[in-house]
Amino acid sequence: MKTLKEMLAEARQVVPEQGPAEVKKRIDAGEPLVLIDVRDPDEYRDGFIEPATNISRGFLEFRIGGAAADPTTPIVLYCQSGLRSMLASKVLKDLGYENVTNLQGGFQKWAQSGLPVAKDRPMNAEQIQRYSRHFLLNQVGEKGQRKLLRSKVLLIGAGGLGSPTALYLAAAGVGTMGLMDGDVVDVSNLQRQILHTTANVGRPKVESGTEMIRALNPDVNVIPLPTRITVDNVMDIIKDYDLVIDGSDNFDTRYLMNDACYLAGKTNVHGSIFQFEGMATVLAPNQGPCYRCLYPTPPPPGLVPS
Amino acid sequence: MLLGIGEPLIGRLLTYDALGMRFREVKLRRDPKCPLCGEHPTITDLSIHRDADTACPAGDNGQPLAPAPESAAKIG
Repeated sequence: MKTLKEMLAEARQVVPEQGPAEVKKRIDAGEPLVLIDVRDPDEYRDGFIEPATNISRGFLEFRIGGAAADPTTPIVLYCQSGLRSMLASKVLKDLGYENVTNLQGGFQKWAQSGLPVAKDRPMNAEQIQRYSRHFLLNQVGEKGQRKLLRSKVLLIGAGGLGSPTALYLAAAGVGTMGLMDGDVVDVSNLQRQILHTTANVGRPKVESGTEMIRALNPDVNVIPLPTRITVDNVMDIIKDYDLVIDGSDNFDTRYLMNDACYLAGKTNVHGSIFQFEGMATVLAPNQGPCYRCLYPTPPPPGLVPS
Repeated sequence: MLLGIGEPLIGRLLTYDALGMRFREVKLRRDPKCPLCGEHPTITDLSIHRDADTACPAGDNGQPLAPAPESAAKIG
């Protein structure tokens, strides 16, 4: 009879291990790897590594085909301490998966290294109904919905661009939304800024917008920021968000957001509109150009309408 | 973007002409000489934003929200 020790030693001969930092690097680099948490569902819910799929070890052989159809797919497995997943990795090797790695030290070591962990709360009956159409989309599903609910988005401007963005993101269940705008609602805004209503003319846009978003979807935690973004507050504000959406109405803010997001490593979704012409792009630090790659310096005041 | 699915508009500018009802896509490249993200950046913090005269004043309600068409022409 084999001892556990012998089984682990056998597995280690065929399954390479990588530490948390190495695995994190692979995830961040965008490698199309499949990360699988082989712990039990309650352990997974208490905290897991993004973007892991939970397949408990007992179901691994049955469900691995759904997570990784191609035997050459790079797979990384983890459990709590790295032992269960080592044995599970060996099983995948035996099944013919060629590129399987075990996360050395497991979730425990990952969390102790200070790397980010995600947490899921079970969805309630109302949420299951509300997002049921998302569940039908393979690329979203329940897992995607949980991810949306955990997402934090900062909207700069609650005006013409910020309004539809805020409403659609709120409806979709983006869990945390920072809403930043220093203006008050003017009656001339209402023909396009659909986040605000006639009754709210004269009130801060952020107040009006917060009420509207909460009325649409109470799942959304709106963080009202009723001030203008400035060089002094920008870094402190953007650090809490996964994604920044710049719907600002002036070059001053646009350059500030571009520079701050680049320096903080935050992706900045940029939109702008002039009369009948709209444009959009995504400024992702080091993955593509920034706004200054296109226009190195702001236009002189007065040249273009701000 | 949030779900990590699809193809985000990184390095692409999508424009929409609401009168002509046309979408257009322009490829955008990184500028190695970019003062912020280029090979030899001159902007390494936000201090240039403290010079009030480098930027135009904040926009008012109801004003156009964006770069004028001439800036779009520069890219194309």
